[in-house]
Order: sequence, then structure tokens, then C-alpha cells
Amino acid sequence: MNSNIKHKIIVAVFSLIFIGAFICCIIKPATEYSESERRKLNQFPEVSFENVFKGDFFSKFSDYAVDQFPLREQFRKIKAFFTYNVFMQKDNNDIYVIGDQASKMEFPLRENSVIEATEKIEYLCNKYLNGSKVYCSVIPDKNYFLAAENGYPGVDYDKMMSVFNNNLEGVTYIDIFNTLDIDDYYPTDTHWDQANIKDTVNALANGMEIQLNADYKENVLEPFFGVYYGQSALPLKADKITYLTNEYTESATVINYETGKYLPVYNTDKFTAKDPYDIFLDGAVSIIEIISPKAKTDKELIIFRDSFGSSLAPYFTEYYSKITLLDTRYIQSDLLGDYVEFSGQDVLFIYNTSVLNNSNMLK
Amino acid sequence: MVFSSIEFLFYFLPIVIILYFAVPMKLKNFILLITSLFFYFYGEKVYIILMLAAIVSAYVNGLLIEKFRGTKLSKLFLILSIAINAGMLVFFKYANFTVDNLNSLLGVNITLANIALPIGISFYTFQTLSYTVDVYRGDVKAQRNIIDLAAYVALFPQLIAGPIVRYSDIDNQLQHRTITVKKVSDGIRRFIIGLSKKVLIANALGQLCDIFRNTPEKSVLFFWIYAISFSLHIYFDFSGYSDMAIGLGRIFGFEFMENFNYPYISKSVTEFWRRWHISLGTWFRDYIYIPLGGSRTTKIKWLRNILIVWLFTGLWHGAGWNFIIWGLYFGALLLLEKLFMKNIPDIISHIYVLFAVIISFVIFNAPDMKTVLSDIGGLFGAGNIPISNTVTLYYLRSYALVIIAAIIGATPLVKNLANKIPEKVSNILEPIVLIGLIVPITAYLVDGSFNPFLYFRF
Repeated sequence: MNSNIKHKIIVAVFSLIFIGAFICCIIKPATEYSESERRKLNQFPEVSFENVFKGDFFSKFSDYAVDQFPLREQFRKIKAFFTYNVFMQKDNNDIYVIGDQASKMEFPLRENSVIEATEKIEYLCNKYLNGSKVYCSVIPDKNYFLAAENGYPGVDYDKMMSVFNNNLEGVTYIDIFNTLDIDDYYPTDTHWDQANIKDTVNALANGMEIQLNADYKENVLEPFFGVYYGQSALPLKADKITYLTNEYTESATVINYETGKYLPVYNTDKFTAKDPYDIFLDGAVSIIEIISPKAKTDKELIIFRDSFGSSLAPYFTEYYSKITLLDTRYIQSDLLGDYVEFSGQDVLFIYNTSVLNNSNMLK
Repeated sequence: MVFSSIEFLFYFLPIVIILYFAVPMKLKNFILLITSLFFYFYGEKVYIILMLAAIVSAYVNGLLIEKFRGTKLSKLFLILSIAINAGMLVFFKYANFTVDNLNSLLGVNITLANIALPIGISFYTFQTLSYTVDVYRGDVKAQRNIIDLAAYVALFPQLIAGPIVRYSDIDNQLQHRTITVKKVSDGIRRFIIGLSKKVLIANALGQLCDIFRNTPEKSVLFFWIYAISFSLHIYFDFSGYSDMAIGLGRIFGFEFMENFNYPYISKSVTEFWRRWHISLGTWFRDYIYIPLGGSRTTKIKWLRNILIVWLFTGLWHGAGWNFIIWGLYFGALLLLEKLFMKNIPDIISHIYVLFAVIISFVIFNAPDMKTVLSDIGGLFGAGNIPISNTVTLYYLRSYALVIIAAIIGATPLVKNLANKIPEKVSNILEPIVLIGLIVPITAYLVDGSFNPFLYFRF
């Protein structure tokens, strides 16, 4: 091929690429939501004199242009491919993969955040929980098992728990770190697998001086693609969600205080929604109540929790007639008294280490 | 709007290309002007007025300088033009810095609202300044067509990040440029190469520098990784942008001067500054250094001239003591080289230059003087930091290939290897490589949120 032909090809092809892409950008209908990133995508900004000349029309247009680019998901996968396989980088947008397990880097340790978490717990104890047996536990995130062993930056968990325990008074701490390993977590998600935490549940039960020894039937929903599947943009293997049922869970009723709806413990309709993990107790909600008519006792339990608590709580339907789950990421602590009667119930604070390291999310 | 963005590549540029090539030659400058003004307005709604004022000032003063040539009025209009341009630059760039330092030095409490720095002001004021000076010197005729002059000043390929284009370099091209398929193709090639340097290398290294800043667990090794990475990052960022500017200029029929020439192969700081940001260095040489007398004067004045130029060079880069120190640091090194450093073996001089430049960029990138000292100290183990740690080794492993690619890319090796490929083969490979590069570039832009341009602060 001579140079003239080369020049003509370059000009022709790039004209086609840029003008063709422009046309595709214009005619492509806007997408509202990104399944992989689990967020709403930016839409075309409002065109008005105010917006254009005084507002942020152009910066919003830039966000729109990126979010609505044609074949966005495919390009994200290409970027992940280049990051891992061409430039041999160890993470893509802080997500890394060891074998089948994906995780998001969490570091450095924010000691002040851990201390603030203990202060928030103590505040709740002082305000609402006089007369209650109060227990506390911390769930290690996946980085506890993956980071240090594989040379990834991570939090000093020993230091975190030392700070946590040294600053928390008046509660009984139940250590569950040694009841878990990486296989107890979903490979493509941040959460633990409900079917694999029986040892953890037993440790909690022993610490809380209760008996939990029911049998469960395993029910499988697949394929499950967790939050890291989309964020990593890598072709990870599909996962499955196993949820456990027995007479206690099947007879229990869940009340979602935000929607006012009465639901089963496992809302399997949510498996095909934005976050399949929401099958557990209808997902992340500020106040959830589980009424368990067949429970062995008429005692009540309050769980201050994050999303890990959603798959843990069904285990307690065997023992507690009423379980109230409170997520102070979504409701101010001072408002809880307007919705919940605190009257000497057993109380369990259970958060994962990422929440402790970012406790500003607790209100 | 930055060149390395979805909105520029796939919205703005296609529209400009379609309009530009659809209109006859006599309207092309008008199209460039309108689209350039929109380009500027996109990122700078309020201060577009300043750029328009600079254009009008240059136009009017240029005509008046020429009309009254040979009289004192001609000089007066030159001084007026300099005062307007320099005044704008000094006020918007240095007023807050000046007030803060006066308050510290004199213990007073002068208050001044935080003045935002208009994008590209350091570039377009230097262009309009050079225009009126060149008219005064008789090097160029005053431009009678305000559209053409405005198109020159506002030309979006070089408006916000250079190269600093002298009017004398493109005076003829404004009216008489030719646009050929070869030129457009060469422009596309240059643009894509620049885009690759920016998106695939510079952005990754910039992320590493950001990670370094935000990590409390530092080590001596991490300081050195940061220093080397930033030196490479700023080179690929700025030279990548210059490549894009030159490439775009060529697509529209303009030939801009080269702005970088593999500065990291230099064997002296003197040579480094002949290869780094060439358009700025030559501007200061022609408009400050030589008019002051250059080296053709007494030794004391020559020393003065060098220090003035390097003080201004530092200040041009930013209103901060670290920039002043950075500029004077190079001034001092240049003086040392001219006075004392002769007949040094190449390898030693090369290592000295790399060391000196890396240290200089550590100073350059520090947000304040305290960080300058802690960063320099960190390079040599101050503060009882470990030699290395887990975080450092992780990021070294993670970015090793990017850093190696950047080091190789900062030398002429790739270009020399490419030149050795037989023409028939390269004629086939080149389009494939260029088209291939567009895919990862687009992928990184779609997925990335980290895409700043360093020289935006200018």
C-alpha cells in the first residue's frame, strides 16, 4: 500500500468513527439505570437560559455524555481487560480479584471513625437501652481474608478491634472472626452467604445465651451476580443465592416500616430486581420488624445492623417472637424512639468492618 | 472542555469538522472562531469576556501601533497593550497571592475576594502580547481583519494549553494555508498519539500520584515512586496535550511549533529547557531575556537577566512560593552549568539532569511550602519513615508496567524503531495501530472519572 492510500484510509476511517459515533450518541435512547454499577445514569440536563449561562448545564452535559455513551458496558469491560491484562495492574477502580473472589480495597484504617462508631453505640445504649442485655459483634469484610495474604493494602484489623473494644463499655462483645473464612462469602458480592454462617450463628447464640438448633431446607436462586461483578467489569463466574427455610421462617411475617407492606422473610420477587441480595427481608430499610408466631420464646430482639444483618436475622426467628432491625444509615438515631418501643429486649449491635471504618454513615 | 473527553471527541469535534470542511476557505476562520469561542465558553462562562477584551485590545492597539509607527504614540499604544494584557494576567493570577503575602509580611488584614483564575489566561495573554510586540518591531503587519486575529487568539487547539503560538508563525497561514489529505492524516496521527499519551499513560500515573498524596502510610520508596511518576505524568500530560494541539492544528491546515523534544534525554538543564515547553522558553528568550540584553552585557546584568527570566518562568506556572523556588532553582542550575560545569561525562550529566528535574517537579507539585519540605525530606528518609512497606510494594507492582512504558515512551526509542519499519509495512500497520488505539482510549474515557489536565491552572 502506498502512502497516499494510507493517508486516505486514515482520513476516511477516522471521519467515519468520529462522525458515526456522534450520530450514535445523538440517536441512542437514554438509559436510566446501570445494572452493573447499581446507580442511576445521568440524563440530558435541562436546557434553559439560567442553566446554560448561570448554572451547571455544561458539567452535567459532560456527565451525561459519559454515562450515555453507546456500548458503555462493553467499553467498561474493555477498560477492565486493558487494566488487568495489558497494563497488568492489580486492581480496577479499587476492585481486585483473587481466584473467583472479588473484593474492594479498604484502607487505611480510620481510627477516629472506629471511635465514633463506639460513641454512637454508647449513645444509643444510654438513650434507649437501659435494662436491656446488650451484645455487640463485628463482621470481618472480605479484605480481612484476602488483602494481607495477597499483598493488597488493607486495614490493620487487630488494631481496629483493639480500638473498638477499648472504647466500648457496657456491652458484651462476641468475637466471630474465627468462625468465618473467605468461602463463607459470595464470590461476586460483599456479603456473606446465609447458608455458610451456621458456625457464626452458633457463636452468637452462645454469646447471647440462647438456643438455636433448628434444621433448615436450602433453597437456591441462580444465577446471582453480586455487586462486584458489575463494578469489576470482568467475566466472573455466576454465583448463587441459597436461602434457608423452616417452619419458623415460613410462618414469620416481615413488616417494612417504610412501605407499610407485610412480606415474607424471603421476598424472592427481589431476585430479579436491582440487587438480588434484597430477597433477605426486602433489602436495606431503616426499620423492619419480623413477627415469628412459632418462636420458642416470647422474648424480643432488637438488632442494630447493616445489610449483613438481613441474612442473619432469619436464624433468630426460631427463638425470638419479635425481631426489630434498625439501620441507622437510613434513620436518625434520635427518631427511633418515635417508632420503636424500647422495653428491655435483648439487643445486638452487629456491623461489618467497612461500616466501622466509615462510621460517618451511621446517623 | 478537555480534548480527552467524550463530549470533545464525539460531540464537539465531529461538529467542528463537518462545519469546517463544508464551508469555503474564506469562511473557515470564522467557523474556527465561533467554535473556539463556544469551546472556551463551555468551560469558562464568565471570563470569556476577558479573552474578548484581550482580542479587542490587541486588534485596536496593533492597528494604532502600525498607524503611528515611528512616533512616540506608537510606543504608547504598545505600552498600553502590554499594560492591559499584563494587568489582566497579574490581577487574576497573582492578586490573591500578593494580598496573602502582604498580610503575612506586614501583619495587616487586607481582604480580597477569592479571584478565580480564568482558564488559559497565561496562554492567550502571552499570545496577544507577542502579537503587539511583533507589530511594534515591524516583524509582522497589523491584522486588519478582526475575525482572523480573533481566530488566532481563540483557536481552540492551542487556547487553553498551548503551544504558545506566535502570530508571526501563523500570520501567513491564517489566509493562505493549504489543507491536504496528507496533512489531515498526519494531524489525525499526531492527535491520536497525543490522546494515547494523555489517556493511557498520563492519567494512570496521575492516579498513582493522587494515591500517594492520600495514603498516610508512606515510605522512602513511595516518595521516589511518586517523584518519578509525577515527572513522567507531567511530561506525558503536557506533551500529550501539545501533540493533540499540533495534530488538530494540522487537521485545520495550520503548522504549530513543536513544544517538546524528548526532554528526558538531556545532558544538561540548559538542554532540558530547549526540549521542554519549547514555546514558553523561546517566548521568554525573545520577549524578556534578549530585550534585557541577554548574555551580551556585563556579567552582573547577565546574572540579573537569567534570574529575572527564571523568576517569571516560575511565576508563570503558578502563584505560589513553590513555583518561584522552582523557577529560581532552574535559574541557579543554569548559571552553575554555564560557569562551572564543563567536560562532564555524558552518563553522569544525564543522571544529574534526571535527578535535578525530578527534585524540581517534587517542588513544583507541592501544594504549599510545608509540603515542599516534607516531600523533599521524605525522599531522603526524613520523619522516620520506613524504606518500604506493603502499600508501597503493592502500588509499585501494580503500576510497574505503566511506569516502564512511560520511561521508554519518554525516549526516542519507539520513534526510532517505528522509523526502521519498511514503508510498505508501516503503511499497513499505522492505520491499524491508530484505529486500535481508539478502542482502549474510548474505554478509559467511558469508565474513568479521573481525567484532569495539569496545565489547566494556567
